[in-house]
Amino acid sequence: MSLEPRIGVFVCHCGLNIAGVIDVKELTEYAHTLPNVLVAIDNRYTCADPGQEEIKKAIEEHKLNRVIVAACSPRMHEPTFRRCIAEAGLNPYLFEMANIREFSSWCHPSTPKEATEKAKEIVKMAVAKARLLQSLETMEVPVTNKALILGGGIAGISAALDLADMGFKVYLVEKTESIGGHMAQLDKTFPTLDCSICIEGPKMVDVSRHPNIEIISYADLLSVEGFVGNFKVKIRKNPRYVIDENCTGCGECRDVCPIEFPNKWDMNMGVRKAISVPFDQAVPLVYTINMDYCIECYKCVDACGARQAINFDQKPGEVELEVGTILVATGFDIYTPYDDSRYGYGRYDNVITALEFERLILAAGPTGGKVVRASDGKKPKTVAFIQCVGSRDVNKYEYCSGFCCMYALKNSILLREKYHEDVETYILYMDMRTHFKGYEEFYRRAREQGINFIRGRVSQINENPKTKNLLIRAEDTMLGEPIELEAELVVLCTAAIPSKGTDEMSRILNVTRGTDGFFMESHPKLKPLDTPADGIFLAGACQGPKDIPYSVSQGSGAAARAATILSQPTWKIEPIIAVVDSNKCRNTKAKCGICVKACPYGAPMAPEEKPAEINPAMCHGCGTCVAECPSGAITQMHFTDAQIFAQIRAALEKNPGDKILGFLCNWCSYAGADLAGTSRFEYPPTLRAIRVMCSGRVDRDFILEALRLGAGMVLVAACHLPYDCHYISGNVKMKARMEALTKMFEKLGLSPERFRVEYVSAAEGVKFADLIREMTEQMETLGKEKIKAENEKLRPTLERMLSKKK
Amino acid sequence: MKLLKNETENELTIEMILHAKRYSLTLDKTRCTGCGICMEICPREAIEIKKTPKVDGEKAKPPTIDISEEKCHYCGMCAPICPFGALEVRINGEYIIPVINSESFPQLIREIEVDTTKCDLDCVDCEQACPLSLIKVSVRTPNGKEVTHIASRPDKENLKVVVDIEENFCPCCRLCEVKCPEGTIHVEKIFHGSLRINREKCPEGCTDCLDVCPISGALYLSDDGKVYVNELYCVYCGVCKIVCPEEGALELHRTYIRHTPIHSGAWNKALEKLTSTKVMTKELQTKSLTKTQESLKKRFLWRRKF
Ligand SMILES: Cc1cc2nc3c(=O)[nH]c(=O)nc-3n(C[C@H](O)[C@H](O)[C@H](O)COP(=O)(O)OP(=O)(O)OC[C@H]3O[C@@H](n4cnc5c(N)ncnc54)[C@H](O)[C@@H]3O)c2cc1C
Ligand code: SF4
Ligand code: SF4
Ligand code: SF4
Ligand code: SF4
Repeated sequence: MSLEPRIGVFVCHCGLNIAGVIDVKELTEYAHTLPNVLVAIDNRYTCADPGQEEIKKAIEEHKLNRVIVAACSPRMHEPTFRRCIAEAGLNPYLFEMANIREFSSWCHPSTPKEATEKAKEIVKMAVAKARLLQSLETMEVPVTNKALILGGGIAGISAALDLADMGFKVYLVEKTESIGGHMAQLDKTFPTLDCSICIEGPKMVDVSRHPNIEIISYADLLSVEGFVGNFKVKIRKNPRYVIDENCTGCGECRDVCPIEFPNKWDMNMGVRKAISVPFDQAVPLVYTINMDYCIECYKCVDACGARQAINFDQKPGEVELEVGTILVATGFDIYTPYDDSRYGYGRYDNVITALEFERLILAAGPTGGKVVRASDGKKPKTVAFIQCVGSRDVNKYEYCSGFCCMYALKNSILLREKYHEDVETYILYMDMRTHFKGYEEFYRRAREQGINFIRGRVSQINENPKTKNLLIRAEDTMLGEPIELEAELVVLCTAAIPSKGTDEMSRILNVTRGTDGFFMESHPKLKPLDTPADGIFLAGACQGPKDIPYSVSQGSGAAARAATILSQPTWKIEPIIAVVDSNKCRNTKAKCGICVKACPYGAPMAPEEKPAEINPAMCHGCGTCVAECPSGAITQMHFTDAQIFAQIRAALEKNPGDKILGFLCNWCSYAGADLAGTSRFEYPPTLRAIRVMCSGRVDRDFILEALRLGAGMVLVAACHLPYDCHYISGNVKMKARMEALTKMFEKLGLSPERFRVEYVSAAEGVKFADLIREMTEQMETLGKEKIKAENEKLRPTLERMLSKKK
Repeated sequence: MKLLKNETENELTIEMILHAKRYSLTLDKTRCTGCGICMEICPREAIEIKKTPKVDGEKAKPPTIDISEEKCHYCGMCAPICPFGALEVRINGEYIIPVINSESFPQLIREIEVDTTKCDLDCVDCEQACPLSLIKVSVRTPNGKEVTHIASRPDKENLKVVVDIEENFCPCCRLCEVKCPEGTIHVEKIFHGSLRINREKCPEGCTDCLDVCPISGALYLSDDGKVYVNELYCVYCGVCKIVCPEEGALELHRTYIRHTPIHSGAWNKALEKLTSTKVMTKELQTKSLTKTQESLKKRFLWRRKF
C-alpha cells in the first residue's frame, strides 16, 4: 500500500476514567497536529456502538487508511476495533492502539499535567508506528481431516476410538507388536480391582474392528514435516516375517517352533517362542518371528502350510501418511534401579519391581499366578513393598510418580485376598497419596485388612546369603528411630520415567520436554493437552505419570482438541509472522542458520547455500529470529524494525534524558503494567513503553538507538525464566543477547542502572510500579548532567555500531 | 533374568535363570577336543575357539572353547553335533534338546555293531585300541555276573564276552574295528571326507597337528620327519587344521555326515557350514528325488534357489 497515510485519531474519555485525569480536548487538538493525521475526534465511549459508528463514518468521509484509538490497553479492545475498521472496509492490521488509560490516566492520577503530556507522547508514538503499518492477510490452510496417534496404550486407544467415532480416519502407530501399553501387563486395577485385560481387551478389539482406524504396529516414526492441518508423516513398518493378511493367529507355528527367548512383556520372567505373539490377547493378532533368535529351521513354514503367512524375505516397509493433527500418547517406562546399590536390584534374587510383581500375581503370567521367589520357587511369607524408589528423590527423579501408592495398596490387598493370613505384608512409604475418587476408601480397606504401614525411607537392603531373605534397614519417621525388617520378597515401587525414545520423538515433532524429561504441555493449567506446536496434542503418561482414569480422560480430551481442527475445512493462521528477505540472507554465501537455532518452533529452514525460509504455518510470531539474524534479513510483520525505530524516535524526541524507554513483552510484562494501571498503583510518569510480542524480539540495535538518542534509562521486561515465556524460550535468547550488551556497556562506562533487564509476570502489578519508581529515583540520583555526559561519551561508538548495520 | 557362567577344571557351565524357567549348557572339558564343530554351527555365534599358545620345546596343546552366556539361547544344536558328546543342554534340570524334539535338527548316527560270539575270552584289544577309553570289555556268566579269573573257570564254554561302548561319546574312528583280530566290530564313520597334508608347506620339524589329534594313528610321523595322514582312522573333526601354523598346509574337506533323516533349514545351514554348498545341495537333491522338491518350491517362495 503505497498510498500516503491518512490517519484518524479517536480519543476516548472512557467516562471519567481517562477524561478525569487527562485533558482530552488538549490531547485531541495535539493529535490533529501530528503528521498525516487528518481527523482527531474525542468520544465518551469509543468502544460503544456510537463510538464505533463514528470511526466508520470518519473512515468513509475522510478516506482514512489508518486508524488509532487512544484509549485502553490493546490487550483489551484491539480485536474490537480491528473488527470495526474491517467492517468499514479497511484491512484490520491498519489499526494501532494508544494505551492512555492503563499507562497514563490510571497510574498518574495526581499529576494530570504530566499525565496529559505522557498521553500526547503515547499518541505520537502510535502515529509514528501507524504511518508505517501495512495490510496483512490472514492465511488459510486446508485441513486433512485425518489424525495420527502415536502410542497404543490406553490413552492412545481412547483417543483413537473417540476420533474414529466422530467420523475421522485415524492411524494408530504402535512401536511394539501389540497395542495395549502397560495396562495390558497389569493384573487387576485400582480402586475397583477389575481385571485389567478384561476391561482393556474389548477396547483393543474395538480398535482393530473400527472401520475408521488403521493400526500400524511394530512401527517407528521416522519423520514429520509440515504444519497444522497438513502434516506429512513417514513411518517404518518393521518386518514381522509374517504376512498380516494371511496370518489367522492360530498359533500352530508357535507350537512347532523349538526356540524360546525371554519375553519382555513378561518382564523377562517367562519365555516366548521365536515365532509368537507377546501375549494371547495381542491386537493385531499377527505372529512375529524374532530373527535374533530364529534358527531358520522352517518348521513354522510347514505348520503354517497352505495359509502361506510366513515370508522370510519380508523387508522393512515405509508408509507415508498425510494427517491434519498428531496425538502423542507414548506413555512411560519404569525405572529399574540397577544403579542404586541400596536396593540390591539385579543382585538379589528376591528383589523385584512392581511391574514384575504384576506379572507374577497375574493368573496368565509366567508362573500361572503363583507369587514365588526366584531363589527357591517358594511362596514368600513376608512381602515388603518399598515406595518412592527413584521418585521424590532430588538425586534421581524429583517428581512423584503418582500411581505407585495406589498400586502398592492394590497389590497388598490382592496378596491378602489370595493367601489370607499366610502372607504378612508391609508397605514402607514416605507419604500415602490417595487423592481422587474412591482412592482414600481403598486405602482404608487396605488398613482394615491388616496390612502393615511403616512410614520411612529405606537406607539399605541386604541379603542373607543362606536363606536369601532380605534385611531392610529404614528410619521409622513416625517413631523417629531406625528399624530393621526381614522380608522374604521385596517389591520396589519404582519411578515412572519418560518412555524410551521420547527424546527422539521430541526432536522429530519439535515438541519440548520439561526438566523431568516428559513432554511439556503448552500451558500447565489452561492448555494441558496442547503442545506449543499447533496441531500436536498430548495424552496420557507421556506428559507425566498418570493412572488409567486420568489417561483415558486425557485421551478423550486430546481427541476433542484435535477435532476442533479436523472438523474445519480450513485453518486460519495469524499473519503476524516472520519473513526472510532472501536477498539479504547470508546463508546463501556462508553457513548461517542462526534463525533455525533461535526459533523455538522449528519454523525456519536454512538449507545449505540457499536463503533461509520460514514456514508461515509454524511461525508463532515471537520475533526472536528477527532480533538474532546477523544480516537483518528477517522482518516481523506488524512489528517491523522501521516501526519500532519510529516509536523509539517519537518517544525520545523531547527531553530524552528524563525518560525511561521500556520494551515490554505482550504476555507478561505489558500485562503486568496493565495490572499496575487497573490496580491504580501510582508511579512516576517517566516511562515510554513499546509493546513487543516477545522479549526475544528486542533487537540490540533498539537499545543502542535509544541510548544514542539520549534516553535516561532503558528497560527490557520479560516473562520469568525459565518456563513462563509464551513462546517457550524467547526470554532465554533475549537474556543471552542482553548480557553481552551489558558487558559492553560496562566497558564503555555506562552506569549499570541505566540499562536493566527485568522479569515481571502478568500478576506483578506492584512489582512493575515499584520498578518504575525505583528506576526513576535512580535516574534522578544520577542527575541530568551525568546522563548527558555519559551519552556524549557513548554516542560516537553507538553511531558507529548502528551505521555498520545500515 | 540372570545369566551365569561357571568354570571349573573339568567343566564349563552357562545358565539362564528366569523366574519361571532355567536353562543350562555344560561343556565337559575332558571330552572336548577343541575341534570347533559346535562353533561353526552355532546360530548365535556364542562359541569361541581359544588357541592355546605354544610354549617352545613343548608339544602343541589343543585349543579350548568358550561359550558366551550373553549370546547363547539354549537352542541345543551344539549338543547333538559334537562328535565327542562333550556338550549337554538342560531345561529345568532335564536333559532336553528342543531342536531335536521339534525335528529341526538331526542326531548323528553312530553305527557300531559288535558280534561278541567271535570274541576270545582273554582278548581286550579293542579296549586298548580306543583312543578315548570308551570301551570296556568284560567276561560274564550266562546270568550276567562278571568273571575275573577266567583261566581258573571250569565253565569256559558258557562264559560270554561283553563289549560296552559309551557310544554317545564315540567319534567313530574305527580303531577298534581295525585292531580287532576277529572282525567282531563293525563301525561306520560319522563324518566322511578327505584330509591332505601339503608337506612342502610344513615348517621344518613341526608336528603340531599330530600333537593335538585326539585319534592316535590318524596322523603319524614318518622317517622323513614329516607328518602323514592315515585316513582309515581320521574322524574329520578338524582340530589339526585349527592348530596348523601354515596356511594351506592342511586341507580338510567333509563330504558327508551320517545323520537321522531331517527336513530343516537350520540343518541345511549347518551342513553347508560343516561341508560345502555342493554337499548341502546334493543332500537336498537326494531328498527331493521324492516329490518333496515340488512342495518345497511352492512353500519356500523366498528361496527360489532350490
Ligand atoms: C506396576 C504398575 C501398576 C499399575 N497399576 C495401575 C492400576 O491398578 N490402576 C491404574 O489406574 N493405573 C495403574 N498403573 C498406571 C497405568 O499403567 C498407566 O496409567 C497407563 O498405562 C498409562 O497409559 P498410557 O497409554 O498413557 O501409556 P502406556 O501404557 O505406557 O502406553 C504407551 C504406548 O505407547 C507405545 N509407545 C511408546 N513409545 C512409542 C513410540 N516412540 N512410537 C510408537 N509407540 C510408542 C508403547 O509401546 C505403549 O504401547 C500402574 C502402573 C504400574 C507401573
Ligand atoms: S524357522 Fe525360526 S521361527 Fe520358524 S520354527 Fe524354526 S526357529 Fe521357530
Ligand atoms: S523465532 Fe518466532 S518469529 Fe521467528 S520464525 Fe520462530 S516463531 Fe516465527
Ligand atoms: S545351545 Fe545353541 S546357541 Fe548355545 S552354544 Fe549351543 S548352538 Fe550355540
Ligand atoms: S587327523 Fe582327523 S581325527 Fe585327527 S585331529 Fe585331524 S581331523 Fe581330527
